[in-house]
Amino acid sequence: MGQVINNIFARSFRSLSRGRNVSGYLMIAPYLLHLVIFLGYPLVFAFVLVFHRWDIITPMEFAGLKNLTRLIHDDLFFKALLNTGFFLSIHIPLQIITALFFADLLNKKLKGQDFFRTIYFLPVVVSGVVVAILFSQLFAFENGYINGIITALGGERVPWLVSPQWAMPSIAIIVTWKNVGFYIILFLAGMQNIPASLYEVASLEGATTWQRWTRVTIPLLNPTMVTVIVLSTIGGFSLFIEPYMLTGGGPLNSTLSAVLYIYNQAFYFNHMGYAAALGFAFACIIFTIVFLQKRFVTKDMYS
Amino acid sequence: MLVADSHRRSPLPLTCFVFVLLFSLAACQGQEDSRGGTEGVIRLTYWSSQNPQERAVAKLLVEQWNRENPGIQVIVQPLPAGQSSEEVLLASIVAKTTPDVCSNVWPGIVTELVRANGLVALDQFANFDSLMSSRIPADLYDRFRSPDGHYHQIPWKSNPILLQYNAGLFRELGITAPPRTYSEFLDAAKKVYLDEDEDGHPERWIGNRKIHPIWHERRFDYYAFYLAASGGTTFDLDGKFVLNESVSDQVFSLFRELWKNEYYPMTELKGDPFDRGLIATKLVGPWNIARLRENATPGLEYAFSPIPVPDDYSGPAFTYGDFKNIAVFSTTRHPEEAWRFASYLVSKEADLLLLEYATQIPIRSDILTDAFFADYFAANPMVADFAGLVPNARGVGHLRAFPEIMDALAQQFEAASVFGVISPQEGTRKAVDRIRAIEDWNQ
Repeated sequence: MGQVINNIFARSFRSLSRGRNVSGYLMIAPYLLHLVIFLGYPLVFAFVLVFHRWDIITPMEFAGLKNLTRLIHDDLFFKALLNTGFFLSIHIPLQIITALFFADLLNKKLKGQDFFRTIYFLPVVVSGVVVAILFSQLFAFENGYINGIITALGGERVPWLVSPQWAMPSIAIIVTWKNVGFYIILFLAGMQNIPASLYEVASLEGATTWQRWTRVTIPLLNPTMVTVIVLSTIGGFSLFIEPYMLTGGGPLNSTLSAVLYIYNQAFYFNHMGYAAALGFAFACIIFTIVFLQKRFVTKDMYS
Repeated sequence: MLVADSHRRSPLPLTCFVFVLLFSLAACQGQEDSRGGTEGVIRLTYWSSQNPQERAVAKLLVEQWNRENPGIQVIVQPLPAGQSSEEVLLASIVAKTTPDVCSNVWPGIVTELVRANGLVALDQFANFDSLMSSRIPADLYDRFRSPDGHYHQIPWKSNPILLQYNAGLFRELGITAPPRTYSEFLDAAKKVYLDEDEDGHPERWIGNRKIHPIWHERRFDYYAFYLAASGGTTFDLDGKFVLNESVSDQVFSLFRELWKNEYYPMTELKGDPFDRGLIATKLVGPWNIARLRENATPGLEYAFSPIPVPDDYSGPAFTYGDFKNIAVFSTTRHPEEAWRFASYLVSKEADLLLLEYATQIPIRSDILTDAFFADYFAANPMVADFAGLVPNARGVGHLRAFPEIMDALAQQFEAASVFGVISPQEGTRKAVDRIRAIEDWNQ
């Protein structure tokens, strides 16, 4: 093994010394530097931090496994994980159903199709902070626009962001609204790849609209579906801006996401070592779930 | 082969690389010049607060200083934007981008800044004692002494928190005097409550506070009420956290009543709800007088009174004082000159400007008796009310993990007061348990 590595290095140095590929190396140098400085170094540094106590401003102290021991006994971290899971369980199905519905509409030859495609994609490019401010007005309990409409129609006000039961579903609605445009585009691309002849055959065989949808469209969208599920899972795990801006993790920690909790530990309380331990634990959980998802969902979908 | 050759000979990547390198070096050189002070002129950087009134004061003071001191030129900048000035200062300590002087240092982080060797000890300078004695009586020195025994801050301003109330509305509702006790406050709240369309949800409240468990917000409600009810006893007893649990229960109970009866709204009200007539009281510092002068709706009558206390409380009024002090950072290359400039920022003339422009109270033990300020206070009796309370305004002490301690209290404040899902006693007990765990962890 050592010999192989030595050979690789020797070859690289020889080719460098001969001037071959110098331009190539220079070309990739900025990205390589970026990768090492902004990804490689922080990753290694964060791993070192897991075993230290560090408040950023004073020298770090070796803490052994204390951060990990604390993590195991931290009820709030487990609550944050459960909250994130609850969010995903609402967000992912909602995202898929909404995106499929609108993608199907846009796939039909309707007037103003381009206009609607742009409109649906617009929230994706709007800053998350702006979206949060917008929804803080829409979802306000006493004087919000949506509750205004509900009460005008004779209904009761909904405690969107101020009830522990409603807050996380409300956040899931907001995140779905913001991201659905991206997934509409993915599904639309998938739908446009389905040969029209398949629908013609299904019609000739007497298939209803529902049957064409369930027997042709959905099965042939499976590869896109896998992509959408994996991307929304990874994106959903990083839930931060909406609870940070709208609820601060409340009410009663019901919207405290794992990332928000890690952020609070790191930047509110300066527990960098503990935050690093939480970060690594959370990364392991995401990795495991996405791995299982890829293994089982992909297998099921393609079969 | 031809392609490979042309790539090998292309000077473009190398040229780009060299340019990037040169620009970086040039940038570093520029930074050196501005901080280091070339051509015999010493340059200092001064961070002021961000609000327009204080920026105006800082600008005037720096212009005058620069005219009078051609050899020491000061560049004034507002504190960089951030969630709070504390976060910004800690971040700049880490990045070693602190200014020479900053006049917006919250005493709650001074202990942390000292631990990080971020501040210059000011008691090394010759005229330190005379400057301190001009601002505070000797028996209050301890409040500003760091745990290492040195002084790293010049007492600058203290903004006691008072209850601002809508005097016109109170009169209209038959509330003859501002509420002094919890019972009076709840009675006033009942009278202010207005549900015009009778849908079971009010359109007017006695006051409002953020319901989110954000630690720094709790300084202006829970902590201010706690200090008022405990006779000004802070959480810090020789560096150890101490809580008067029965007082904490009383404060939790008061706020629980306010939210339970919908005297406080659950939603953050946009704009200034006091100015819009949506709420009748607000917890504010004297800075709000300057703001109201510029922005209040014509005809809005407002006044200030001390924070309500439990019905059985007897004693003087205490409150939370949002202290901000001046510090010299250890990144300065000119500590003597920075100290001279910092001393200039607390001259009588500078203090008067702070009062006039920002209606904020300089820490000066004789401020209400000194003839220099007499005309100002005669013309601004409301500001005098705040100034009179400065001796009874309390800060946060020197507890090491104060934000985390306040976070533990904020979590229970939310549970016991805002949502009422646990009793006030349980809230206090849980907060204390959590704070003991935090103390153990931080040892």
